Amino acid sequence: MRSARGAALLRHLILGGFSAVIAMPLLWVLRVSLTDKATAYRLPPEIGEIGLQNYVEVFTAFDFTRWFGNSVTVAVLATLVSLPAAAMMAYAAARFRTGGWPLMLGVLASQMIPPIVLVLPMFLVFTTLVPVPGLVAITIAHVAINLPFMAWIMASFFDADTRMLEEAARCDGATRWQAFTRITVPVAMPGIIAAGLLGFILSWNEFLYALLLGNHSSQTLAVGLASLETHAGVNIAPLAAATLLALAPVLLLLPFLQTYLVKGLSLGALK
Amino acid sequence: MASIELRSVSRIFGAGAQAIRAVDRIDLRVEDGEFMIFLGPSGCGKSTTLRMIAGLEPVSEGELLIDGVRVNDIDPAERDLAIVFQNYALYPHMSVRKNMAFGLKLRGMAEAEIGSRIARVAETLGVEALLDRRPAQLSGGQRQRVALGRALVREPRAFLLDEPLSNLDAKLRSVMRTELIKLHRTLGTTMIHVTHDQVEAMTMGTRICIMRGGEIVQVGRPQDVYREPVDTFVAGFLATPPMNLLPARLDVADGALRLRIEGQEIALPLASRPGWARHAGRDVILGLRPEDLHEAPVGAATAALDCTIETVEALGPETILTLRLGRDGTELAARLPPEGDWRIGAALRLHADTSKLHLFDPETTRSIPGN
Repeated sequence: MRSARGAALLRHLILGGFSAVIAMPLLWVLRVSLTDKATAYRLPPEIGEIGLQNYVEVFTAFDFTRWFGNSVTVAVLATLVSLPAAAMMAYAAARFRTGGWPLMLGVLASQMIPPIVLVLPMFLVFTTLVPVPGLVAITIAHVAINLPFMAWIMASFFDADTRMLEEAARCDGATRWQAFTRITVPVAMPGIIAAGLLGFILSWNEFLYALLLGNHSSQTLAVGLASLETHAGVNIAPLAAATLLALAPVLLLLPFLQTYLVKGLSLGALK
Repeated sequence: MASIELRSVSRIFGAGAQAIRAVDRIDLRVEDGEFMIFLGPSGCGKSTTLRMIAGLEPVSEGELLIDGVRVNDIDPAERDLAIVFQNYALYPHMSVRKNMAFGLKLRGMAEAEIGSRIARVAETLGVEALLDRRPAQLSGGQRQRVALGRALVREPRAFLLDEPLSNLDAKLRSVMRTELIKLHRTLGTTMIHVTHDQVEAMTMGTRICIMRGGEIVQVGRPQDVYREPVDTFVAGFLATPPMNLLPARLDVADGALRLRIEGQEIALPLASRPGWARHAGRDVILGLRPEDLHEAPVGAATAALDCTIETVEALGPETILTLRLGRDGTELAARLPPEGDWRIGAALRLHADTSKLHLFDPETTRSIPGN
């Protein structure tokens, strides 16, 4: 009995240690966001006088609302455009073996290319060949990186079980398209939502394309936050407050992501 | 209602040297209103054949006709056939009612007509109380009924049943078997039922089509296939325990056919099976159903076989004995009445009904006709 309790204590100590490693930076940012610049840099860390002045400053002294709006626009649009296309691509790959293994391997390989490699060609395309406004360029770039990623995730959701349901629907009189939209998609919806949420978060946090393809008016949150780090120094306290505000939507989405991802992965339990 | 005809139909997977003929040039005609059973071991091509008929699998070679019309390239949606799958394939995001209505709505049927059809079928199958439930809230037996209901409500030209009873427990399977037979009698619609269960095959179908390795081995009424198996595969596949297949040597002497089986002999008048005489002096396979072995001689046409009891399975209405010919010869089974005091290891003299013997050619495995 005693040894069991000791083992449990040891387990919790180890897990607690790991949790602290993960939570510490976030707690640090939280502390900084609630203090002034002078206190923020003090070592050992002090809490000092706590206030929401940095959060107010984020909205009054900077373009935080615009950055936030741009990020929402880009992430929502990129997800809405890439999700249906990725679902159809994943379906084609899973059902008809379209492209065979080279296609899906290519899709996976595309995720391994360092983003910086693709930025220059994209920059040239969007500045000279197809000049489009910054936000549109960033959205297209995000569609390009999200689509294969989402398709790769979703391919496993269109497995044998959904195939049989589709066959039942086709014998019931549905065309392939009707079977896909009325049976396969609703049944695979948890997985599709999970892929969409992952794509949204990927787009929300994306920095490089947003920095290089956008301009001042199309700055997203990731780029906007980086701009608080200036030649004149780092606006550390407002930066911390803005970072936490930028994290908020992602934190709100995470419980849904977890739920739908688990549901999506357990689609095989339909029978 | 529909007749279904397969003319030299094949299904080939892969190409070139690696091509596999899952179904190999089969010819079959399922008559209008018939209850046809596709029976065979796993991988024999029975489900693939059913899926080709449904349109879910392309026909690689040959012609598939429904009511005399070639349907090789017709979409499954337009064939107007209903299929019931082994794992039911109920749409999990829809209620039972919506599952049943799905096919009717796609055909643009009026809501009132859909409602009345669902009510009628739900009453027939006893699933009225389940109409607003989702498939996940149903037991295996209930799902099976709903899957059947979804097919019935469409009033299709033919029903295709792909092992729909194999996921049910023994008792429920027996109940559903009876219900399907009744349903076929009531509707008179063509049904094709795929199974590897020979009890289903014997009891349900008007005809059985036995398949092996992508080919049709024998087609016929259940009793005919049982009584006159064309080869050792059919003889060994139908019934439990299957027909005993014993290596023997056939000779003709003194106007009698003499079968020597591991030192023992069965004699029968030459006139009773003149056709067998052509195989005199050759090795043969003797086929003997377990129920054609008796404890006491049955009339004049019997021959004694000395055996040793190996196992005793008392099933209630009957007892199955597993025996060895002689002391340690070939294994065989006997189906005997329940009363009897059999002890494992004891010697037992059984009497074979010689009017029910079968002979097979060991090289071709084909039945040797007696006439």
